[in-house]
Amino acid sequence: MSTKNDDFKEEISFKQTMKPEERMIPTFCSLCGPSMGCGLNCYVQDGRLVRVEGMKESPINKGKLCLKAFASMQWLYSPQRLKYPLKRVGKKGEGKFERVTWDEALDLIADKLKEQKEKYGPESLAILSPQARTYKSYFIRFLTAHGSPNYCHSGICAIQRAFGFAYTVAAPMLGMAGADYEHADLIVVWGANPVYAGAPTGNLKKILDAKERGAKLVVIKPEMQPDAAKADMWLPIRPGTDGALALAMLNVIINEHLYDAEFVSRWCYGFDKLVPHIQKYTPEWAEPITGLPAEQIREVARLYGTAGSACILAGNAFDQVVDSNNAIRAVAILIAISGNLDRPGGNIVPMESSMPMPKPVTLHKRYTQEFIDKLVGPEMPRCFQPFIEGISSAYYRCLDSVLTGEPYPIKTIIAPGTQPTVITRGSRRIVEALKKLEFFVVIDVMQTSSMPWADVVIPVTTMYECDHPFEVPMGGTGNWIMARNKVIEPLGDYKSDYEFWLDLGVKMGYGEDFWHGNIEECMNYQLENFGMTMDELRKYPTGIIYEPKPMVYEKYDEFLTAPSPRLSGAPYLPQGKVAIYNTSFEENGFNPLPEWVEPPESPTGTPELLGKYPLVLFDSHTSEAYNHGWLRNVPYLREIQPEPWIHIHPDTARQRGINDGDWVIVESPHGWIKVKALYFPGIRPDTIMSLHGWWQGCSELGLPGYPLLDGGANVNVLYSIDPDKAFDPVVTAMPKQTLVEVRKAENNG
Amino acid sequence: MAKQYGFYYDAGRCIQCRTCELACKGTRGLEPGVKWRRVVETWDGEYPDVTRTFFSLACMHCDKPACAAVCPTGAITKRAEDGIVVVDRDKCNGCQDCLAACPFGVPQFGVDGIMQKCDFCIETDRKPACAVSCPAEALRYGTIDELLEMVPDKNTQRMDGATGPSIIIVK
Repeated sequence: MSTKNDDFKEEISFKQTMKPEERMIPTFCSLCGPSMGCGLNCYVQDGRLVRVEGMKESPINKGKLCLKAFASMQWLYSPQRLKYPLKRVGKKGEGKFERVTWDEALDLIADKLKEQKEKYGPESLAILSPQARTYKSYFIRFLTAHGSPNYCHSGICAIQRAFGFAYTVAAPMLGMAGADYEHADLIVVWGANPVYAGAPTGNLKKILDAKERGAKLVVIKPEMQPDAAKADMWLPIRPGTDGALALAMLNVIINEHLYDAEFVSRWCYGFDKLVPHIQKYTPEWAEPITGLPAEQIREVARLYGTAGSACILAGNAFDQVVDSNNAIRAVAILIAISGNLDRPGGNIVPMESSMPMPKPVTLHKRYTQEFIDKLVGPEMPRCFQPFIEGISSAYYRCLDSVLTGEPYPIKTIIAPGTQPTVITRGSRRIVEALKKLEFFVVIDVMQTSSMPWADVVIPVTTMYECDHPFEVPMGGTGNWIMARNKVIEPLGDYKSDYEFWLDLGVKMGYGEDFWHGNIEECMNYQLENFGMTMDELRKYPTGIIYEPKPMVYEKYDEFLTAPSPRLSGAPYLPQGKVAIYNTSFEENGFNPLPEWVEPPESPTGTPELLGKYPLVLFDSHTSEAYNHGWLRNVPYLREIQPEPWIHIHPDTARQRGINDGDWVIVESPHGWIKVKALYFPGIRPDTIMSLHGWWQGCSELGLPGYPLLDGGANVNVLYSIDPDKAFDPVVTAMPKQTLVEVRKAENNG
Repeated sequence: MAKQYGFYYDAGRCIQCRTCELACKGTRGLEPGVKWRRVVETWDGEYPDVTRTFFSLACMHCDKPACAAVCPTGAITKRAEDGIVVVDRDKCNGCQDCLAACPFGVPQFGVDGIMQKCDFCIETDRKPACAVSCPAEALRYGTIDELLEMVPDKNTQRMDGATGPSIIIVK
């Protein structure tokens, strides 16, 4: 489609002028992750950020932004900003602190870590993962220098998908970033939301453009979010059953011979074993599980199998189910056998650009088997570590070790930009762990829900208040490098996240590994491959763009033999072929073929619970206003979603005497929350949906915060944490599906 | 006819991301509770055959602004040079007659009780922040004549309405 918008002739009344006192400083956004962030032009007046606009030069967002960026002035100047380092003076959980200097704060942490390293070993330290940002590499470096393997990744986001794709088709990002929208005849958005996540970064525009040139759009998710409202076919699947749908689609595509027999015979291993295995997974079998009519399952399978070119955007829904590894493998196999792997309009392996890669901050070369063996709660089995982020424990399991002492108790947890009290499951148990934990450090820009249990609180700069780092898009296929520019002077006694880790490294005696605390040297080291220093990079205010390499399809010889990040460097795929039958899984005691596993509680898995808990509940981690436990304190965002909510079908609500906007109690076998019921005509009547991360108040709007546990609005108290039922055995994935009943709250205010 | 500025809105591309709402609020520093632009939605049908459509609504800078016609103090005027409807906040007495008259419910009243609404960003001397920020390219701005031709592949028309709203929509 061609438009004249870009070269629209400006009239005199629209001159793009700045007020004389305004100064424009380019930088990039970090309000969501994981990505480099969108290019931002920041306008400063009298030292204050007054507005932002999208940076046209940025190849990521090309002048566009999302609503969160436009609200970021209120975030930056929020009264909830931390002001200076704090140490605890009251009891854990009481939230009483007093101001300390940076030197005192660093000493408190360093002294404790040295003492514990001596007493319990360095592995007693764990650091929890935030939503991926570049500072993650710095604390992974710190952990390695210290001698702990316990980088604790969420266990519920992205890595789960990456793992399933990597060990099936040797392309970790295939389902997240591999959809070739421009050439597709069919686009399947599956358990993903390209509207609420990364709308300005181009996928959304590509999907809309594809639709306009005649591509079909299928959206698979339990409620009609805005992307589903655009779909040619919306499949309102029951939460947590995407794996069952994928298996039934395989059944149809195989039994109706809709697969690419030539590709299967040349590039797939074990198809003959899949054929008998898949017979039991008929559309009729899947109907009661998924809540989708068998005919609709056949229809979507046929559509996908015969589209010619079809791509799938597989979202977070696949990371947060107990059959995660199975569901992802089933989708990866669908892509492969339908002839859509690395072909135009299918799911492709993107080309690298001509941009060099920065020297890594992590110290992955120091990993040893002994290091891996010491993981407190491996995110994926030790035999599959390291994976693409290095080695990792699972977030929840790390906290659980504090209570169980198994295999050993973590003694210090550092939480940088992450709130264990609201963003992982089992909040009640998490609070118990924080109470018992010997030493807890919170690093953030804002007061957090986990702060009351902290021994030391470290206040860091926002993205607007520091002049580093430089960033490049994640994933190795980006083509843009840009130095962050300081937009305003820090509003408190802050260091950046990056400076904090360098300074703590020096305090610990690891100065050799931390550029002796010199951030400029640290940046220059990473830039060596670019042949420039940070100062030289700054001469390009909006960064440098490198030419992308022209796309080459069908690179099977190249990527199917790719080495895995394991210490052995063994390839992901021992046969150099798509692992339909996975011998690596088999050797390590896991099912070589994808199978169906019921959520801990579900209509078909635990029908005995339906009498008391007749509805399925699930939640989303991002909405148009928020991500995770952030941003409820920002007035512009909070007024979009002022109160914690559930979406409920009007019929389901009326049967219970619930009016639109009533406060309701949502009760599962594991806990209860109090939220507002919002009528939502586009949701399965047997299902309600919520949003995780509610706890924070908004003082400017006079809106309250909410208790973290029962009676609050924290959906994570509702889910199972049963060690036998609530974890995918391969990738840890913790499900966000349970059964609930909803009733009108007695005190409706 | 004199030049008339307005917006182009393609409901087929709008995905209710609310970027336009917040681009407006953030760029113009609006107080909470006040929306010069807002995305409204309409549900139709019965589950599972439901449809959900969106409309990004701001001042339509109408040919015959009903708000101006009823304003007792003459605070609301339509500029001759570009057709943009503006409010003289010094003249407004806060009676809200304009809100009752506007077929789109556009006029907003914040804590000062004085009418405020979209001024097409003319006060800032910049392009309308809502339209330049739209990640879906559903919202555009320009003169009505240019907007009719701006997306040649689309069948566009000026929206019907007694007040002559200055918005081009996709048929």
